[in-house]
Amino acid sequence: MQRYDCLKVIAQDTGNALAVCTGWSAREWWAVRPSDGNLKTRTLGLVSSIAAGLALALPRRKVIAIDGDGAFLMNLCGVPTIALQNPGNLIHLLFDNECYEASGGTATASHLADGVMLAKGAGYKHALWVASPDEFRAAFLNAWERNELTLIAAKVEPGQPAHLPALRLDEIENKYRFMRYLEETEKRSILNSGFDSKL
Amino acid sequence: MEDQECAARIVVGLKKAGIEFVATLPDEKIVEVIRAVDQDRDLKHVPLCREEEGIGICAGAYLAGKKTALIMQNAGFLNSCNALTTTCLQFQIPILLLIYYAGDIGDRGFTTLGSVTEPVLQAMGIRSYVLRNTRDIDETLRGAQILADDSKKPIAVLLTKTVLGVK
Repeated sequence: MQRYDCLKVIAQDTGNALAVCTGWSAREWWAVRPSDGNLKTRTLGLVSSIAAGLALALPRRKVIAIDGDGAFLMNLCGVPTIALQNPGNLIHLLFDNECYEASGGTATASHLADGVMLAKGAGYKHALWVASPDEFRAAFLNAWERNELTLIAAKVEPGQPAHLPALRLDEIENKYRFMRYLEETEKRSILNSGFDSKL
Repeated sequence: MEDQECAARIVVGLKKAGIEFVATLPDEKIVEVIRAVDQDRDLKHVPLCREEEGIGICAGAYLAGKKTALIMQNAGFLNSCNALTTTCLQFQIPILLLIYYAGDIGDRGFTTLGSVTEPVLQAMGIRSYVLRNTRDIDETLRGAQILADDSKKPIAVLLTKTVLGVK
């Protein structure tokens, strides 16, 4: 099982949920769910924290963090912060391929460090391992329905399908499209009015 | 002025500047400010385990339309440098950084930290203002927030012992 096998089975279930990606997962997620509600982060580790900030600021909106073991382990101190805030609208996905895939493929510590135990130890009420795409989808739908903070972790093989298109946007375009998409779907102004404003 | 009164004024200044979402990690010198943030019903308070994750939390909240601040010591600012660079600067995300200036003039025990703080801020292109007098709180915080919002970059306000009312 690869990360892509899991992502593609939930794509149709995610509606207008916001999705925050890290590393190679971004190209996969955009391929299965193209949307301006997708954001690709650039700071290794911060995907879960950025998703949590969104979830806290938009408590009625579903937010999905697509985390990896390297990022998760780098930002372990962010996990208790999220647990303490306990945003029920955040679904935290952890794809554990036991390596820094986007950084050359060397091993992380996750063949020993158990992401589910770490999340539970940090205070997540719901955290579980799944072993197949079907189990993954069932856990995802369950977390969505329950609306309580949940970590869903899956051991996956490294790699992704070769045919996936490259992302055609940079950080700034990604940000503006994401924020305009939020303005459109939340039906309110978010960005300041820019150089035409009279302050 | 006592530390609690200074803290109350700083929180009023933050609110006048439009701040509504505040992440914090304490130093003993800013603990009254953090208590005041925590007790204010208009402010969303997120206590942190490490400052760098606070940059992520605040960045996410900004994308959803919140005006955010991160309150920390200058060691925490150093902890946050990668996130400030590869999230805030790279995506053009503003955030008001309220940094307790340990190792400032007259402070003992933190001179190494104090000596690198402003040069690192400058190297990152983050404009910073030292806040020493309580009478300047409102104007400085409001001005810094306007700069952050308009430049879409982090702006730092360095809080000194005198403005915090602490020894």
